[in-house]
Amino acid sequence: MMDYDYLKYKKILIVDDEADLLEMVTSILGQDGFKAMKTAQTVSEALHMCKEWVPDLAILDVMLPDGNGFSLFEQMRTFTEIPVLFLTAKGEDEDRLKGLGLGADDYMVKPFLPKELSLRIGIILRRCYKGENPLVRLSGSQIDFDRAEVIKGKEHLPLTAKEHDILSVLCRNAGRIVTIDQLCEAVWGDNPYGYENSLMAHIRRIREKIETDPSKPVSLITVKGLGYKLVLAEK
Amino acid sequence: MKDITKLIRRFVGILLLSTVLVIVLNIILLAVISASQTANGRPYSTAKETAKALQKTAAGYVLSGDMAEQLNMENAWAIYIDNDTLEVKWHTKNLPDTIPLQYTISDIANLTMGYIDGYPTYTGDAENGLVVVGYPKDRYWKHMSPSWDYDFIKNAPYTVLVVIGVNIFLIFLIYMIVNSKLLKSVKPITNGIQALPLGEPVYVKEKGLLSGLAAKINQTSDILQRQKRNLQRKETARANWISGVSHDIRTPLSMVMGYAGQIEANESLPESERKKAQIIRRQSIKIKNLINDLNLASKLEYNMQPMDPRPVNLIAIARQSVVDFINSDMEEKYPIEWKTDDTLTACIIEGDKELLRRAIGNLITNSQAHNPDGCTIFVWVEKSAAEYKIIVEDNGIGVTDEKLEQLRTAPHYMMSDGKTAEPRHGLGLLIVGQIVSAHKGTVSFDHGKHGGFAVTIAFPII
Repeated sequence: MMDYDYLKYKKILIVDDEADLLEMVTSILGQDGFKAMKTAQTVSEALHMCKEWVPDLAILDVMLPDGNGFSLFEQMRTFTEIPVLFLTAKGEDEDRLKGLGLGADDYMVKPFLPKELSLRIGIILRRCYKGENPLVRLSGSQIDFDRAEVIKGKEHLPLTAKEHDILSVLCRNAGRIVTIDQLCEAVWGDNPYGYENSLMAHIRRIREKIETDPSKPVSLITVKGLGYKLVLAEK
Repeated sequence: MKDITKLIRRFVGILLLSTVLVIVLNIILLAVISASQTANGRPYSTAKETAKALQKTAAGYVLSGDMAEQLNMENAWAIYIDNDTLEVKWHTKNLPDTIPLQYTISDIANLTMGYIDGYPTYTGDAENGLVVVGYPKDRYWKHMSPSWDYDFIKNAPYTVLVVIGVNIFLIFLIYMIVNSKLLKSVKPITNGIQALPLGEPVYVKEKGLLSGLAAKINQTSDILQRQKRNLQRKETARANWISGVSHDIRTPLSMVMGYAGQIEANESLPESERKKAQIIRRQSIKIKNLINDLNLASKLEYNMQPMDPRPVNLIAIARQSVVDFINSDMEEKYPIEWKTDDTLTACIIEGDKELLRRAIGNLITNSQAHNPDGCTIFVWVEKSAAEYKIIVEDNGIGVTDEKLEQLRTAPHYMMSDGKTAEPRHGLGLLIVGQIVSAHKGTVSFDHGKHGGFAVTIAFPII
């Protein structure tokens, strides 16, 4: 799933009071190819690491011996904008909403599947650091989100704003199905009903730009009735 | 308040009825007494009969024996006054000495209306004279000037009616004034009693006639409130306890799941060991789901789960639940087929998106849990005249009729106050039931068209 090698070198700070869990998360991420992980067990240690080591992403627990993850997050936000994922045993809706409401990039409740953790971290990193590698490689073309164009062979095909929005959502969730409703919401805002046909038209035009054979799509797959999936090119 | 009006109406009714009854009784009593009181008739008729019974004979005036006897019995005396001379020509033997034997015209007028020397007298016409019968002084009282205004007599029935009406009104008025105080103190009491069953705290001012009653109502309300608080505290404690336990299990379970997952994925290990790790991971996921379900079920049961109802599209929610499962089903053991008609795009109800998503997710999990060897799951949304339906069905092992009956009728053990703690069905379905009923919908279980188990949740179209 991790398609960009450079993302594997992003520095990840893991904060949890449980040493065993830190070790496990480190090993999960290590197995998935991440190269730079460090851990902290307290709020003060975490803040110190953020300033000294300057991580690219932080995984925070909520319950910490000298404070809680939410306030740690707020303190971090005073000097850094790095993406944050909460990984906590606090699974109540209000906790989840609090974490996301503060501006966290994701919120995962323990216990979790190792695979899911690394997938979600991959998604966050791709979303936050895509600008560093503007080209997204598909089997028949490449997408340059910064310039909003598709490069197919020698052709440079411009993307409309809506096509750009749709592709961004799909790319952020590359390899996963994104529902019709999620796509419509991303493009037309809250509670979009009755945009299914417009969406289909946009998808058709996107395919004409990105697919080698638009009638037999291999990159932008339809999952009938449910949504669409963007498949990135193998490395 | 209705009761109070009823009460007043009955009181006033009884009051008026009893007044009328008393008046009627009085009239009857008066009539009976007057009938036995022959006062008006007797002395006059006796005087007339005496006049008739007095005969002029050669030897002078003679009163018949019967009449003389009667006068004697009544201690009455009689005189006969001659028309021409105004002299007493005859008298009974018992004539008092003070009675004059010679009269003037004015004397005659006086005795006709009233008395002679204090003796009540009555007259009767005799031949060429007047018979006067006198009674003892304390026998009769005579009404001397009985004359009435003619209009008064003419209007008498009307006057009587008005008087009765005014009397009744006065009685009513007095009754109302006297009772208004009582009513005033009854009103808060009845209000208080009516508010008690609603379970709200009640306070009635302990003042006035019924302050004792008010105090009792306040005490009752306090007791009810205390019981309610205690029950709530107990329920909260229980839900918090469940929430605390589930919180504390999460971190250790993470490690079981995490390492099991790693061992499972470690290709350098023998296949059999990786298989065992896979079982550990799968069972851990079951424990995880169980914890989540237990927590949510207890919160829903004790109304501690805040609902966030807003217009939501059931199709979008169902679609998202399905996609979540497809995205996370890495083994592709449980393919999900989306069978909603493409032309149906929006089924809007007022609901809590997260809870509804959970309900649909639980149904999919349920199919997976009962079909460990894998199955295809079918999900679709339908619209009928009055309902939106979400159907989750599978082609797995299905259920027996007996089990189906149990699902439909038996309460979940968490809800059962019976002694048996035998789990009847999983928490997952219990939660589905709780969530759906919180949205005023219904859940029904059946055999699926695809050979397995089918669950339909339906929400009324508003």
